[in-house]
Amino acid sequence: MKIDIRHIAKLSKIRIEDQEIPKFEKDMERIIGMVEQLPDISGMDLSPNPADAMQLREDVAVSDKYTRNELLANAPQVQAGCIVVPKTVE
Amino acid sequence: MELYQKSAVELSAMLRRKDCSAREILSSVYARIDGAEDRVGAYVTLTREKAFEQADAVDAKIAAGEQLHPLAGIPVGVKDNICTKGVATTCSSRMLENFVPPYNATVVERLMQAGMVMTGKLNMDEFAMGSSCETSYFKKTHNPRDLSRVPGGSSGGSAAAVASGEAVVALGSDTGGSIRQPAAYCGVVGLKPTYGTVSRYGLVAFASSLDQIGPMARTVTDTAMLYGVLCGHDRMDATSVLREYPSFTSGLDGNVAGLRIGVPREYFSAGVDASVKEKVQEALSLLERNGAVIREISLPNTDGALAAYYILACAEASSNLARFDGVKYGYRAKDYTSLNDMYEKTRSEGFGDEVKRRILLGTFVLSSGYYDAYYKKAKLFQKKLSAEFEEAFADCDVIATPTAPNTAFRIGENVDDPLKMYASDVCTVTVNIASLPAISVPCGVDAAGLPVGLQLIGSRYSEQTLLRAAFGYETLVGGFDGVAALS
Repeated sequence: MKIDIRHIAKLSKIRIEDQEIPKFEKDMERIIGMVEQLPDISGMDLSPNPADAMQLREDVAVSDKYTRNELLANAPQVQAGCIVVPKTVE
Repeated sequence: MELYQKSAVELSAMLRRKDCSAREILSSVYARIDGAEDRVGAYVTLTREKAFEQADAVDAKIAAGEQLHPLAGIPVGVKDNICTKGVATTCSSRMLENFVPPYNATVVERLMQAGMVMTGKLNMDEFAMGSSCETSYFKKTHNPRDLSRVPGGSSGGSAAAVASGEAVVALGSDTGGSIRQPAAYCGVVGLKPTYGTVSRYGLVAFASSLDQIGPMARTVTDTAMLYGVLCGHDRMDATSVLREYPSFTSGLDGNVAGLRIGVPREYFSAGVDASVKEKVQEALSLLERNGAVIREISLPNTDGALAAYYILACAEASSNLARFDGVKYGYRAKDYTSLNDMYEKTRSEGFGDEVKRRILLGTFVLSSGYYDAYYKKAKLFQKKLSAEFEEAFADCDVIATPTAPNTAFRIGENVDDPLKMYASDVCTVTVNIASLPAISVPCGVDAAGLPVGLQLIGSRYSEQTLLRAAFGYETLVGGFDGVAALS
């Protein structure tokens, strides 16, 4: 199957340079070729299994566990206690 | 024998008898790290200072006569995708090179409550995507049994640290075999627990419905003890299971009489090395001679599992890794002209090629027009495979297979061929797809002297049975090889 790498990369917010396109295209086509071997399954539905042990959490009030400074310590760019991002509205 | 070569069980007894201190144990492990790390490369970060503080705290408690957990004072390495407060958690990625979490993962809290001593953070394939530890942004880890070969992956640093004596036990994580395959390649024990039994809170997500943290050690008993620390309900993880857990060490009696072992013929197909098949068959014969009942079974859907795995895991990864955008934490590109430009440059520079491939695949299978053909089909397959396993467990207690179709390959051998790399997960991915527990134990070596792994798969929540079976095998072979000599 032919893959439009540029389109998929755009959806993924990943930039792939022109010279890398053939390599990614080849890899992806081989990988898609492998995953296409998945057999068709009939007689199954995807409704949830009531026996699954997932539990809903009880309601518990959320409290502030961290200070603003602790949370901002990992931010790439901070100014006046806020995270700096490029201008989004002209 | 040096302290770093001993098992957690032996060290625990020595601590209680006051034959040694926690500081002496840690000193021995760090001396080994200092002597071996330049050849093995298991760690991304060492936490020497904190570790000695933790060891001294344990010694003070022992001196005060306090009752301690059996694993108190035992050095443990932690895979670098598990969050550690105040200690960098990089996922071996440029994207998180400078990320220092403000909190501990639940499993790390549990290690600390037990009084365990964290030696450092262990190398891995970038974001746990890989089977050889070669996709790490920082370094290659070498297999302690043969330094020219890969340790497996993605928990390659964990397996190598345990095999080389650079840690007594370690935590790994397993999404498609990432604990078991490196355990097999490095000749150690690795347990992938039932989904939901170990909290994922603080584990950097790869494929949330498949990821599970688990223990790695040089003996089954150490593995069982560490699993006992890790498992349990956690309200911080919505998929955490609410149930009571038995003691995982009390049933370890070495007896395999009457144990019903199913052997699925599909796991011994043409793609599995002859030497691997031979060693696994020898292990099964030994178990049979000692009273286990071997039954050949069939799991006909095995063939589709690798395809289903890469669809499900990559679909979830493409969504999970969307959070790495350079805004709130992690790497941010230097020059950009707009928000979109910043996202694209950040992700292109921050992620390695394997991570990009998997995000692209996941995005593709979820994209408009392809969802039914890939993702939905894979989810249906998952149900079918789970039902098939459930049926098989009506007649057997455990299912035995090779852990990997091969033994450790040479560094660089498969790095340019993603499909060849993915094929080394062929025996392990079924377990994650069906949410089952499985353990890998060493079962001898091939002609080149490389370890072969025997995988035992159990039904959901049957870790006790798995550990008993694995311990039975360990007893029959007179124990596994200890720390590698690194010659």
